[in-house]
Amino acid sequence: MKKNILIVISAAVLFSMVSCSHKKETAASLVPEDYSGWTITADNLNYPIPGHENHFRRVLINPKGQEVSVIKKEGKDYYAYPKGTIVIKEIYPTLNPKEGTKPVSLTVMIKDPENPQSRDGWIWVVKDLKKNTEKIIDYEFCYDCHTNANEPHQYGDGNPDGEFRDYLFFPYRKTASGNRQQSSDNRSY
Amino acid sequence: MKKMKPITRTVNLIIIISLVLGLGLTITYFSYNQNTELLATSQNNLHQQSDILYQSVKNAMLPGNAPVAVTLFNDIRDINPAYEIMLFRSNGVEAFSDNSTIETVNNNITNKVFDHRPASADSVMNISGNKAFNQTVAMRKTSSFQEKKEDETFFTIYKPLLNLPKCAVCHGSDHTVRGVIKISSNITPIVQRQEINTLIAGTFFIFLVLILTAFLTQFFKKKILQPVKHIGAVCTSVTGGDFNRRVEISNNDEIGVLGETVNTMVRGLYERFQLSKFVSSSTIDSLNSKKDGVKESITLFFSDIRSFTAYSEKKTPEEVVVNLNKILAFQTRIIHENGGDVDKYVGDEIVAIFSGKDKEINACRSALIIQKELNEKSTEIYDGLTVGIGINTGEVILGMIGSEERADFTVIGDHVNYASRLCDAAKPGEVIISQSVYENLDGKGIEVSKPYKIKVKGKEKFHKVYLLSPLKDGDL
Ligand code: HEC
Repeated sequence: MKKNILIVISAAVLFSMVSCSHKKETAASLVPEDYSGWTITADNLNYPIPGHENHFRRVLINPKGQEVSVIKKEGKDYYAYPKGTIVIKEIYPTLNPKEGTKPVSLTVMIKDPENPQSRDGWIWVVKDLKKNTEKIIDYEFCYDCHTNANEPHQYGDGNPDGEFRDYLFFPYRKTASGNRQQSSDNRSY
Repeated sequence: MKKMKPITRTVNLIIIISLVLGLGLTITYFSYNQNTELLATSQNNLHQQSDILYQSVKNAMLPGNAPVAVTLFNDIRDINPAYEIMLFRSNGVEAFSDNSTIETVNNNITNKVFDHRPASADSVMNISGNKAFNQTVAMRKTSSFQEKKEDETFFTIYKPLLNLPKCAVCHGSDHTVRGVIKISSNITPIVQRQEINTLIAGTFFIFLVLILTAFLTQFFKKKILQPVKHIGAVCTSVTGGDFNRRVEISNNDEIGVLGETVNTMVRGLYERFQLSKFVSSSTIDSLNSKKDGVKESITLFFSDIRSFTAYSEKKTPEEVVVNLNKILAFQTRIIHENGGDVDKYVGDEIVAIFSGKDKEINACRSALIIQKELNEKSTEIYDGLTVGIGINTGEVILGMIGSEERADFTVIGDHVNYASRLCDAAKPGEVIISQSVYENLDGKGIEVSKPYKIKVKGKEKFHKVYLLSPLKDGDL
C-alpha cells in the first residue's frame, strides 16, 4: 500500500518534470485559425529583411487593433494598441510565390501586457502552419529588433519623426492610403 | 511462538532513517540553494556585462565607429584579465580582423566610405567549429555554458548581435545575426567555494546524524527499552516461581507506573500462591472451571494416624505439631508424586482423591510407598507414628461446599464415608481396599491377600475387602 503511494508520487514528479521540459512548443491556441476578414496593413513585402529573411510577407491586424489610440506626447505621436490586438505577418515559402500559394508560418504579435511571457506589452509568437504548433519567444530576439520601429528606420513610411509606434513597423492607419504603399519602392537603399 | 525480532534494531533503524532523510533533505536543500545562489550571482553579473557590451557595440557601430568598439574590447581585456571578451562575425571569424566587412559596407553605402585597415599581424581566431557558438547563431538566442579546461572552470556567454534594421542599412539585409559577443569568466574560485560548501554541509550532516543517533538511541535504550526488558525479566522469574524479584525503575513516566503495577501484581500473586498451599488443586481448578457440582467416579484415599490421641497426650504440643506436620508432609508428597490430590486434612487424617484411568493403581501405590517408608523409618524420623489407610472407588459428588466467604471444593457421598470406615478398620501399617478397587487392580502387579468380610459402622451387610500385601524391596 505504502509502496504504491510512493510509486505514484514519484511517477507524478517525473511526469511533471518531463512535461515541463517540453513546454516550449505547444499546440496552437493563441493565434486564431481564421483571420481572412482582418485588415491588411502591409502587403507585397517582397524584399529580404533580417529577422524574417527571404520570404514574401503580408501583415494583417484584427478589428480590436483598429481601436488604436494615437495621442500626442511631448509633441510626438504616441501609439497604444488595446489589449487583445493581434497582428499577424504571413510568411510565404519564397520571396516570389505564385498566385494561390499558402503561407508556411506566421509571426504574430499579441497585445497582452499582463502575460508574464509578454515583452514590451506583446506576446511574440511563431506559428508553424505545417505542424500547427506555436512557440512563444520570450527572449530578446523579436522585441530587440522591433524596438527600431519606434525610431526612424527604412521600412514603410520610415517613421521619420521617431514616433512611438508601439513596436510595429507598419502601424494601422484609419486613412486607406496611409499604409498601402508598395514597400519595395519605398526602400531607402 | 513467532521468531522474536528485537525492537532495539527496529527503533535504531527508524531513528537513523528519519535522521538521514530529514537532515539530508534539509541540508541538501540549503547547500544546494546557497551554491546555486553563489553561481547565479556571478552569472547574472556576467549577463549584465554582456548586455552592456551589446549596447556599447550597437552604439559604437552605428556611426561607423568600429575602431571605438575595438578599443573598448581591448581596454576591458586589459583591466580584467580574468575576463575573456571577444566579438565574432556570424561565420565564426574574429571581428575587425580583416577588411571584408569594410568592403561590404562600402558597397552598401554611397556617401561615406570607410578606409581599409592594415592587415592584422596576429593570427585570426575562428570559432566556426564551436558547438556553443553555432547553436547561438542558429537559435538567435543568448546561451551560456559552464566548461572545464584543465583545472579551471569557465562560465561563457554567447550573445547574438542582431542585424537590426538600423544595422541593415550598412550591412545588408541578407542575414539576421551579425555576430556573437563571447564573454567568458574564470569561475574557478566560485566552483571551489561550492565544493567547500558541499564538503562543509556533508561533514555537518554526518556529524549531526552521528551525534543525534547516539543521543537518541541512548535515550530510547535508557528510558524505554531497558526498563521494558527489566520488567520482562521480572515477569519471567515470577513465571518461574521466584516471587522475590521486583521491578526497580525510578522513571517518573508511564513505564515507571507500569513497573509499579507489575510489582503490585507480583505481590498479589505471591499472596495467592501462599494461600494455595491451604487449598487443594481441585479447588483451584474448579475456581477456574466455574461449574457448580459434578458427579464423578473417583478413588478416595483416607490415611489416619493410629493411636494419635494417646500420642498427643504423652508429648509436648511442639513435638506433636512438628511430627504431625512431618508425617503429613511426607504423605502429601507421595500422593502428589502419584497423581493424587489432597482434598483436606482433618486433624491427623488425610483425605485425598485420585481420578483418571489409573486412579486405583495410583492410590494403592501411594499407600504402599507410605507404609513401606513408615515401616522402615518411623522410629527414626517420625517419632514412631504409624498410619492405617483405606481406599475405595465409587461415584461421588464434587463441588464447592460452603458459603460465599469460605468454601472448599470437596467430595461428598456414601462412598466417601465407606472409604473413611475402611481407614478406621485398618491396623497400623495396613492398607484396606474395597471390592471396587480390587476389581480395577487386575493384573497390574499389585498383590492382595484373600478377601475378608467386614461389617462397617452404619452398614448392616458384610462387605468384601482386601488387604494390600506390603511392598518388598525392589517392588515398583
Ligand atoms: C532583425 C529584425 C527583426 C526581428 C529579429 C524580428 N522582426 Fe518582425 N519585423 C521586422 C521588420 C523590419 C518588419 C516590417 C515588415 C517586413 O518588412 O516584413 C517586421 C514585421 C513584423 C510583424 C508585422 C507588424 C509590423 O511590425 O509591421 C510582425 C507581427 C512581426 N514582425 C513579428 C515578429 C516576431 C514574432 C519576431 C520574433 C520571432 C520578429 N518579428 C523578429 C524585423 C524583425
